[in-house]
Amino acid sequence: MSRQPPSRVELLQGTLDVLILRTLLRRPAHGHAIAKHIQRTSEDLLQVETGSLYPALHRLEAKGWIAASWELSDKGKRARYYRLTPRGRKQLATEQSKWQAFSRAIGLILNPMDEEAR
Amino acid sequence: MISFFRKLGWLTERRRKEDELREELQFHLDEEAEQRQAEGLAKDQARWAACRDLGNVLLIQESTRAVWTWTFFEQLVQDLRYALRAMIHNRAFTALAALSLALGIGANTAIYSFLDALLLRSLPVSDPASLVVLNWRAKVWRGDSVVEAMSGSIYDDSRMGSVSGIFPYPAFELLQNSDTVFSEVFAFCRTQEVRTMNVTIKGQADLAHGELVSGDYFRGLAVRPAAGRLIIPDYDRTGAAAVAVVSHAFSEKHFGGAGSAVGQTILINNLPFTVVGVTPPEFFGVDPAAAPDVCLPMHTNILLGAANQFGFRANDYLDQNYYWVEIMARLRPGVSLAQAQAALAPRFQQWVATTATNDRQRANLPALTLKEGATGLDTLRRQFSKPLYVLMALVGLILAIACSNVANLLLARAASRKHEIALRLSVGAGRLRIFRQLLTESVLLALLGGVGGVLFAIWGIRFLTLLLAGGPQRVTLNAELNWHVLGVTAALSLITGVLFGLAPALQSTHLDLASALKETRAGQPRARHMSWRVNLSKILVVGQIAISLLILVAASLFVRTLSNLRSIELGFNRENVLLFQLNARQAGHRDPEIAEFYGNLRERFAAIPGVRGASLARSTLIGGEHGLPISVPGAPPNDANRFLAVGPGFLTTMQIPILAGRDIEERDHSGSQPVAVINDRFAKINFGGANPLWRHLILWKPGKDKYPARDMEIVGVASNARYGGMKQEIPPVVYIAYDQGFPQPNEMVFALRTTGDPLAFVSSVREIVRQADARMPVSEVRTQKAEIEDAIHQEITLADLSSVLAMLALTIAGVGLYGTMSYTVARRTGEIGIRMALGAEPRAVVRMVLREVLVLAAAGLTISVPAALGASKFVESFLFGMKPNDPLALTLAVAILLGAALLAGYVPARKASRIDPMTALRHE
Repeated sequence: MSRQPPSRVELLQGTLDVLILRTLLRRPAHGHAIAKHIQRTSEDLLQVETGSLYPALHRLEAKGWIAASWELSDKGKRARYYRLTPRGRKQLATEQSKWQAFSRAIGLILNPMDEEAR
Repeated sequence: MISFFRKLGWLTERRRKEDELREELQFHLDEEAEQRQAEGLAKDQARWAACRDLGNVLLIQESTRAVWTWTFFEQLVQDLRYALRAMIHNRAFTALAALSLALGIGANTAIYSFLDALLLRSLPVSDPASLVVLNWRAKVWRGDSVVEAMSGSIYDDSRMGSVSGIFPYPAFELLQNSDTVFSEVFAFCRTQEVRTMNVTIKGQADLAHGELVSGDYFRGLAVRPAAGRLIIPDYDRTGAAAVAVVSHAFSEKHFGGAGSAVGQTILINNLPFTVVGVTPPEFFGVDPAAAPDVCLPMHTNILLGAANQFGFRANDYLDQNYYWVEIMARLRPGVSLAQAQAALAPRFQQWVATTATNDRQRANLPALTLKEGATGLDTLRRQFSKPLYVLMALVGLILAIACSNVANLLLARAASRKHEIALRLSVGAGRLRIFRQLLTESVLLALLGGVGGVLFAIWGIRFLTLLLAGGPQRVTLNAELNWHVLGVTAALSLITGVLFGLAPALQSTHLDLASALKETRAGQPRARHMSWRVNLSKILVVGQIAISLLILVAASLFVRTLSNLRSIELGFNRENVLLFQLNARQAGHRDPEIAEFYGNLRERFAAIPGVRGASLARSTLIGGEHGLPISVPGAPPNDANRFLAVGPGFLTTMQIPILAGRDIEERDHSGSQPVAVINDRFAKINFGGANPLWRHLILWKPGKDKYPARDMEIVGVASNARYGGMKQEIPPVVYIAYDQGFPQPNEMVFALRTTGDPLAFVSSVREIVRQADARMPVSEVRTQKAEIEDAIHQEITLADLSSVLAMLALTIAGVGLYGTMSYTVARRTGEIGIRMALGAEPRAVVRMVLREVLVLAAAGLTISVPAALGASKFVESFLFGMKPNDPLALTLAVAILLGAALLAGYVPARKASRIDPMTALRHE
């Protein structure tokens, strides 16, 4: 039974959402592929807890940011493919700019300290 | 957020979505396994790795499901279904628990409905909240006071002195000019002319209850007629036409309908009245204790009283010291009760001061007070609210006992479920989730009990209505289950469910998982937990015992009061006496023929075969209430003296022993020397030890001018006999002949001493009366015994009901004790087995168990005996012939309780003594 302190879950939810949206920007993918992609692209730094991926996917689908349909995978098996919707695209743009502003602010705060230390 | 409607839409697709999710997760697992295989793992290794990577599939499914639906409600539905299944599975437990609850909740609901009807139900008129009742209050009214004469009631309240609702008519006229505060002021009264009237319709005579109302009465109450028109100020004048308004029920009974009643002529006390209208069906006047059949304009009391020597006279309307009329009013919109009182009290004060004739009276003037009138007059409330509150306390205690019983049952059940709960906890259920589920079960049980309770309540209300209102009045106490009461019942059920479910639920989730999952005896929870559960169970039982004792004490107090009252010394023989009332004056007879008429009837009654003696009197010995100024010559009249006008042989018929001289006999009639027979008390007070015979007594006419009405010779001394009420002391009484002058006979009560059942003679009596005068109804037919039972009706009710409740409490507590002891014995099976194997005799085992029972009982008693002693002060006013801390009642209650406890503990004790040591040890 996994027990997570609430604050971490929230953070994870928000982060996971934007990662999923970004992953689907390029092309539609099924759940497993999304997980692998995030792992690979972040150079294995982000260990996505696979268990939280699927609830996140369905939540995003319920919100209307991604849409799903059953397709045949490259291996010929039936899989649920997710793709970004126009609303999702807009959401992604919003989130992306939010993250960039956030990391810039953090960077600004962190860097002056470095200069002082020198 | 995901909208409500979308979630609603998904309800139907749930199944499909869950299947798809399962398929999706399976696909993920397959993909991951393939990948791992490609990286070099063996097939099953790859599968396991994939599963480990994905994590808890069930949890994923649950989290995803949370996106689609409202988890809370889903879980609630789950809990409910599980609870229902469990309840159906354990039928005995469910039945027992639900039954105890239903009884407790039902009793509470029934009593509460009565209280609701009694205290909260408004008059069926428009805007009852703006009605006020006018009262006055004074320190002490007896003795010298502005109230020189009265017709009505004055209540003595220990806190406020004397309170009353009757006023002189000039006061009513004064208060009518209060346009600034009142929009309507109206008056009403029930004097003796109309309280019970002879109503003859088309030759058929019957008795009806009437009320005199002022012209603004119906307008003030804003009542619409069901037919015709109601009384208006035009009808309420001296010399106006004699009209009457009848009740809906009356019109249906005598005319076949409201419409046919209008315009009919009826004879009221032999005087013609025209029916002008019918009141609506829900109307019952302003006093729920006395619904009138006929309403008459107030000024007709002059007409009605003309034939009666004590009747109403036109002058009485001007008398400032004769208090007889009751007043109510409607407040103007925007005026509050306090404002109205502040405005009117000084005006009344000024006026009443002018009616005082000396300083003593001026020092003790009545002060005007206004009371809320939304629920009408408070006669019923005075009579019933205290007993109802006592009953409410008792049934509240019963509910507490029932709840603790169910809690105990739940505790025992939780013990048997600990394996299941441990399993669920270990598989991953949250403590809160299980707690919620257990609580749902108990709330469901409580709701089931609540539904049963409503059924019990309906039956109980009917039963109580018969019991409480079966007394002498025509009481409009329509207790019914309304939404208000049902709401309280539902709240009760919920609260009890939470209350008794809480402890077991809390306890059940505190488990030592590992050992709980094992099934051996070593798997019994640790001593710490064990003693927690057993202690809680024992505490509950001790509580039940304590509460049962309280109820038992109440019951024994009431039962003893009743037996005291029943065995009270009456001074006369109550067996086989038939009582009934005749009113010749109302049927049209006049003085002096009335006395002769009654005398003839008496002789005819005495001639009935089987009647050993017949006589008559102004009132029954229990109902007596008459005082006129009587004095020994030379001394002033004493207010405490009572008199009773009787016919020949009355004392002999009632079998009151004559101590000296003789009874009133036929030779004492009009024309001969007026005689009197005094009782022993009167003799001792007024004559000391001297012989009172042949002395004289003066009977005075009431009023300011002292006019002697009769000069009587004492011809006999009678032994003390009851006069007026069972509980009061016997006053000094003078028995005078009814036909020897003032006061002339009016309505008389006939008493027939019969051989065998008195009621068998009723038809002969009716026939004789019919032959003598067909216009005269025979009323209030009952036996003397029944009259006495009526007088102590409230005490009978309290004794009966509290005994029933005590038995109920004992049964429930007994079951609880039995359950707890059974459980204790079962738990200690191994220990008992060892004891017996070592040589303990079965008797010793029984003693051991019973000792434990006694310890529990003793614990309960130590709590409740002081509580009982303290609480019995509250019921002091209901008791008779003993103090609230009556040791006999207390001892009786304790003895019954101990007996019941031992009885309840006996069966488990026997079972314990029958334990086979070998089986017990092996069970380990």
